[in-house]
Amino acid sequence: MSKKNKNDKGGLNRKDFLKTFSLASLAPLMAGEKIQGKALKEAEAVRYTNNNTDDVVPIGIVGYGEWGRQIASTLERNPKVKIAGISDTFSIMLTRAERSYTDVKTFENYREMLEDPEIPAIIVATPTHKHREVVVDALEAGKHVYCEFPMASSIEDAKAIADAAKEAPRQIFQVGLQYRINPQHRDVFQFIRSGATGRPTYIRSQWHNKTSWRRTSATQERADELNWRLDGDVSLGLIGEIGAHNIDMASWYLNEMPSSIQGFGQVRYWRDGRDVPDNVQVVVEFPSGVHMVCVCSLTTSFDGRYDMFYGSDSTILLRDKHAWMFKEVDAPMLGWEVYARRDRFHGEVGIALVADATQLDAQDVDPFEDDPNVETPLYYSLDSFIDNNIYGPYPAMVGYQQGYNATLVAVKAKEAIQNKSIETLDEDLFALD
Amino acid sequence: MATRFEFVLCGDNEVHLRAAGEEAIREIKRIENKLSFYQRNSVISQINARAGYEPVRIDSETFSFLENVSFLFQETDGAFDPTIAPLMKAWGFVKKSGSVPDQSAIDEALEHTGMNRVRLDKARHTVQFEKPGVMFDPGGIGKGYALDQAAMILKETGIENALIHGGTSSVIAWGKPPDELVWKIAIKHPDPSFHEQDEILKVYELNNSALSVSAVWGKAFEADGKLLGHIIDPRTGYPVDGAQLTACVAKNATLADVYSTAMLVSGTENQMIHPKIDKIFSYFILLKDGNTISHSQ
Repeated sequence: MSKKNKNDKGGLNRKDFLKTFSLASLAPLMAGEKIQGKALKEAEAVRYTNNNTDDVVPIGIVGYGEWGRQIASTLERNPKVKIAGISDTFSIMLTRAERSYTDVKTFENYREMLEDPEIPAIIVATPTHKHREVVVDALEAGKHVYCEFPMASSIEDAKAIADAAKEAPRQIFQVGLQYRINPQHRDVFQFIRSGATGRPTYIRSQWHNKTSWRRTSATQERADELNWRLDGDVSLGLIGEIGAHNIDMASWYLNEMPSSIQGFGQVRYWRDGRDVPDNVQVVVEFPSGVHMVCVCSLTTSFDGRYDMFYGSDSTILLRDKHAWMFKEVDAPMLGWEVYARRDRFHGEVGIALVADATQLDAQDVDPFEDDPNVETPLYYSLDSFIDNNIYGPYPAMVGYQQGYNATLVAVKAKEAIQNKSIETLDEDLFALD
Repeated sequence: MATRFEFVLCGDNEVHLRAAGEEAIREIKRIENKLSFYQRNSVISQINARAGYEPVRIDSETFSFLENVSFLFQETDGAFDPTIAPLMKAWGFVKKSGSVPDQSAIDEALEHTGMNRVRLDKARHTVQFEKPGVMFDPGGIGKGYALDQAAMILKETGIENALIHGGTSSVIAWGKPPDELVWKIAIKHPDPSFHEQDEILKVYELNNSALSVSAVWGKAFEADGKLLGHIIDPRTGYPVDGAQLTACVAKNATLADVYSTAMLVSGTENQMIHPKIDKIFSYFILLKDGNTISHSQ
């Protein structure tokens, strides 16, 4: 077999692996990651004592809507996991769960799942404004928690969640900011942090998808419940549910939090009674002077979604599972780009950024074709949580501080759009007591 | 699936209909992302890349899908076979327009074709191939399966009258159109030279049922004066040369797709696979000589 199996740990079984794997050796996995908040001291980071390191991690999912089902389907492909419990307030969802997983326990009330000692870890995939109650209860019940992003729809709720996570340092708390864990984004992170783009000048992110964003159901009551994203009282809107991921990526790449946000939003097409804009544009300012323009639209699919990182020497384009660098004519040679593949984009030439391209080439694997062994960002994010359950607990790659920071930015961006204002984000805002 | 899906959803609440349609389209995209032979990150591509070397753990939905595929392979005596990709490759039909291979290439492909070369382990939820080179291409069933799942979503959201199709060759309909009593689907002759005469071969009325049509026309090439289509008999390794077109009405689009393909593959009347399952309502066959067979259960 020419390709390396992603589950192959070189002959070590999980117990052997634990014996030889120390917390210190985790540091390279977090390369470039600035662990914010109070880091665990090694002595405090007591390993989770479930004694089942050769078995699978039993996971419970709270919220079995479309995203919850996507999570379940992704977890199923991971041999280190067993979906042990699923909770949803809607009985049809539980019927679906029972149809898909024969030996899963289902719960109409998530609190009953929290009482189950055989389910040590919970994934929270409820509507954003309902995260707080579930996450805080789960942490108080001693569970390890993976919380979807945004952590909450208000700063107060986000802070309550972060405080609860901080109070439980021996439990894992991870936030679903997937880009921070996705290998593709981490590779580009290395390019940018190594200075390959020169002096960062500005950033542009786009998310275009013509869709109503509306959910429906056989009953109006259920449809109303499903359409929380279109309810301005509880929803952070497009910028919170979508754009905040891109703003967080920019913060991560630049290693600084935004200092101000100006926003605009309009209902331009989906005039079906909603008050949540179907088009939003925000300008995010960073302390270094870099500005980011982030636009999200439900009114056009043209040109899809991408992120552009502009620098004095080059620009990096991240699109789908690929990335390219476009060099300025006066940029210094980087050496490796002589051998890199070039793709034409109208009048421009992009240098394909592929990690380990030389090694892949040596293995007779076309480094520019999608590798069937490459998983989705969600897979890697959940896998990181599962590994932490097996080998940890150690500080999550995306912990409560990063989750709180990004959620706070999302809330402020929503306010900027709602109030047509420029919202200032003082450094103190990001501090957790 | 490289197919255009279209929905006709009937009702008074346009906002509700649009939202239901979008959810069904998302479901089709989700299934395509999972079952596509061509998307390199699909579950099927992951299986094809690894299952020749080791058991590959897959999700419940994909496992159930493959169990059903295996069942239908048995039911059709191997005329429907989703492991036909090596033969399709040998005949140059993967991303190409086709060419005649050497007999050795066909023999080699046959060595890697057959659902009997696939092991499904229900206890571990794994799939493994007998050897490297075996691969799934669920193209013959994926479209029907995606339509069935989309129909389920639409019905769950309260859509009572609808017709949905994928590439016009697979259709599901339930309820009725606004000004008619029943959904009617006409099947035209597969030979374009008949189209000027507007020849209708058959009209089916669909009510809570699915219709699938298979024909040798479409992706095909000519060799030695003979038209060779992209429907290949997985048992012989050669393009089919019996029927011109088959149509099948069934309880769901998955069955309709499988049986319309299997009947086309099985060829002439005396070799024909006659559907054994009671969920097949009726079928129609246009033989090579122009004669037709029509049957209703």
